[in-house]
This record gives sequence, C-alpha cells and structure tokens, in this order.
Amino acid sequence: MYIKILIYYLFGYVNVIVEGFFIEKFMNMCISKRIFFWNTKRSKSTVFSANIGVGNYKEVAKIAKKCQCKIKINKKHGLPFLLNRYRKRKIFAITLGVIVIGIIAISNFIWNIEITGVDETKQKEIMEFIQTEGVDIGKYKNNIDLQNLINKIRIQRDDVAWVGMEIKGTNLVIQVVEADEKPEIIDENEYCNIVADKDGIITKIEAQNGTPIVSEGDTVKKGDILVQGWLEGKYTENRYVHAEGQVTAKVWYSEKEKVYYTQNYANQTGNKEKKYSININNFKINLFKTLSNFENYDTIRTIKKLKITSNFYLPIEIIVNENFEKQNNQVVYDKNEAKEIGIKDLKSKLEQQIQNTENISNIYINTNETEEYIEVEVIYEVLESIGTKEKIEY
Amino acid sequence: MINRRRKKVASRISKALEMPEEVSSRAPKLTILKFEEVLIENYKGILEYQDFFVRIQTYIGIININGFKLSLEEMTVDDVIVKGKIESIDFESIVENEEG
Repeated sequence: MYIKILIYYLFGYVNVIVEGFFIEKFMNMCISKRIFFWNTKRSKSTVFSANIGVGNYKEVAKIAKKCQCKIKINKKHGLPFLLNRYRKRKIFAITLGVIVIGIIAISNFIWNIEITGVDETKQKEIMEFIQTEGVDIGKYKNNIDLQNLINKIRIQRDDVAWVGMEIKGTNLVIQVVEADEKPEIIDENEYCNIVADKDGIITKIEAQNGTPIVSEGDTVKKGDILVQGWLEGKYTENRYVHAEGQVTAKVWYSEKEKVYYTQNYANQTGNKEKKYSININNFKINLFKTLSNFENYDTIRTIKKLKITSNFYLPIEIIVNENFEKQNNQVVYDKNEAKEIGIKDLKSKLEQQIQNTENISNIYINTNETEEYIEVEVIYEVLESIGTKEKIEY
Repeated sequence: MINRRRKKVASRISKALEMPEEVSSRAPKLTILKFEEVLIENYKGILEYQDFFVRIQTYIGIININGFKLSLEEMTVDDVIVKGKIESIDFESIVENEEG
C-alpha cells in the first residue's frame, strides 16, 4: 500500500473533489476500470474527495462526466509538480548534481587507514609496508587486491598471526593479531643442561637429575652451566640425562639517578589559545598566524578527519593546535628531600622489573653528594630461581 | 434449477480439493481488525458511501457498516477496506433458503 503510494508520489498525484448525486456509481466505475484511489473523504453527501494518479485523471474525468458529476483538482502532489516549481533554479540543480557526482567520485578512494591490534611502532611498520605495496591514502579502491596484500604481510612478518583487511566506505580497516612468541619447550626425552639466566650468587642448589657443578656461594654469570646434563661414571661412559633441579640465587637489581637540588619545572598558567588549520591532501591552509602570542607554551595538536558517515572519510583534515602558556618555576630541595625523591623514584622503577616483590631480601641505598646534586643508587637483593633449561648441542 | 445444481457440483469439487470456500464460490469474507478496520473480500460494489454509513453489495447480500469517519481504502475489484470508528455491522441476505 505505502509502496504503491510512494510510486504514485514519484509520478505525481492529484487530490480531486467530485461533486454530484451519483458518487457511488462513480466509485464503482472507477473500481471496475481498476483505477486506484486512496485517502477518500466524504465531507458532505454530495461531495467526495480522493487522491488519484496523474495518469488516471483523464479517465476519471470522463467517468465523472458520465455520472453527471463535477470534478475539480484540489491540490497537486508529487515529484513532477515539485520539480516544476523549482524549474527556474538551474544553478541550484547543477550544483546539486555536481555535489552528488563529487561524493560518488570521492567515495571510490581510500581516505583513511586504520590499523588496530598492535602497538604504534608496529602500526608504522605495517603502514610503511603497505605503502611500498602501493596501498596508500588516496588510492583507487577497486585496484586494491586485499587478499594478496594480506598474504604478503603474513609472509613477510613472523610476529603476525592473522591479518584481516576490510574496506568500509572510504576507510581501510586492518586488523592485526599478534603472534605470541612461544617459549622453547624442551621435550622430556631430550638431554639438557640447566643454565643461569641472570648474574648472581648461588644460595641453594638442588639437582634432581644431572650433576651440579656449582655450589653454594659461587658467583655465576648469565649463561653459565649450573647443572650438567650428563652423569660421569667411573666405569661407564658419560650418560646424558634430562637435567632437572632448582637453583636459587641472590640477584641484584640496581638503578642510579642524579637528583639536583635546584630543579626547574613548568607550570601552566591557564591561558590558552586555539589555532585552526585545514589540511587537504598535504596542502595546508593556516587559518591563523602560526606564531604564538606566548613565550613559553605547550602545544597539543589534535587532527580530526572529516567524515560524512562513520565510515565515509573525506580527504580533508582539520588540525587544531592548542597552545597552553606555561611558567618556569624553580624549586630548591635540601639533601634529605632530594634523597627521598631519588629513592622513591628508583624504587618504583625497580619494582617494575622485579617479578616477585616478596622475595626481596635486602635493600641497599648508596648516596654520593656533590655541591649541585646528590647521586642515589638503590640496589635490591632478590632471591630468585635462575635456572633455565638449555638443550645440549653435540 | 440447473443453475443451482451446477453450483452444488462446483461446491462439492471444491470441498473435495479442500479449497477455501471464498475462493471457489464468490462468498464474501470479512476480516475485522479491532473495531477500526474491516476488510471485505469478494464484494460486488459500493451502494452507498457516507461519512457515517457504508453499504456494500456482495453476491449473497448487503453489508451495512455504521460508524464515524469511515473511509474506503485499498479498493480493488475484489476487496475493499473500510476504516474508521465502527459501531455496528449488519447484513441483509438476498439468498433464499438454498438448503431445500
């Protein structure tokens, strides 16, 4: 029903008023001639109004004459009448056409590349790679062979488990799933040594299989063999085994920092200014002077890509530079304060490195004072298991 | 008589084929939605159309619809929809007892 009315709207329809005594006869004749009319109204017993299609009007008028009814057009509706009304506005119509054609033309190119799933450095690498393959912002959409590109990325990069590419509107969405690096698992049946993976002093060594070649108190370096993967017998030859055991050692983590007594730090005054510029395909138009009014300032730059719908990006960027004025202030610390700051800083740094903070056995703090600064060194002594298995190579 | 017999045969065939009755015979079928819409299939013509009263001719009689602001919609050769506030519907049968 509504679709039928919509079609009539496209071709135009008129609201007619029929006046006479034989309205029912008129209706029946219309129906029998298969003339569609809708929105019927009977305001008086002799007056009847309905909507009919433009093409049917002549026939309806004939029927009305037969039924001795008067027919009158009340209102004209529909697209043809609407266009007729705007017939003289040629430039408007031309610009409308140009805009429509322009949008259709623009939508055939890629205006935005979005890479998700990996960190920024890898995003850059992948971006560079696809650019060398000829896919870039401003490329014709239909010339891009996505499957081929996906295969090339997967062949070239080992750290990528899966790549999905999709063109959504003018937006190329690349989804990357990173592959986890697998730790090398040594099979139970293979022969291996236990090797130190950190420098340290051995505090405890328990070998369940194999020959321990270091003892408590020994200093080991990274890569030294702790438990040998073979047994030496007096009468038999060397027998290789899968070495197994726990080696605990004191490991030191240290960090150094210089803390100056007088420090500068910047403070934002709260004054700010905004500068807009427009970037059309690397052609930049500054709407304001680029020089700032402030002497010292931080700049936050936000780039907005214009888009019509969520996936229809346009090749136009709006760049907003926000300048925040700042003041330089000086702070003077005394020795103890400087030391505390240094220690606090270093501790938080070190604690990120240590996997298990419960195993910390000692904390050493060394300081070295000069006139300008105090040098703080924090050393964490941690008990850690340092053995990892390494396959024996013959 | 002959006409009546022919009708009986036709209705028997359609019963055997399990066709809906309104398809084979030209019996009107009314579908009423709420008290606001009546779809009448297999009608013959509109006898009277007023804002408050619609009279529709069918092959077995006349359907009278009383109400307010009645309007006819989706008129085709076979069916019509009467929309508006419907107060009552009644029938005037013109077919005599056929069962005899």
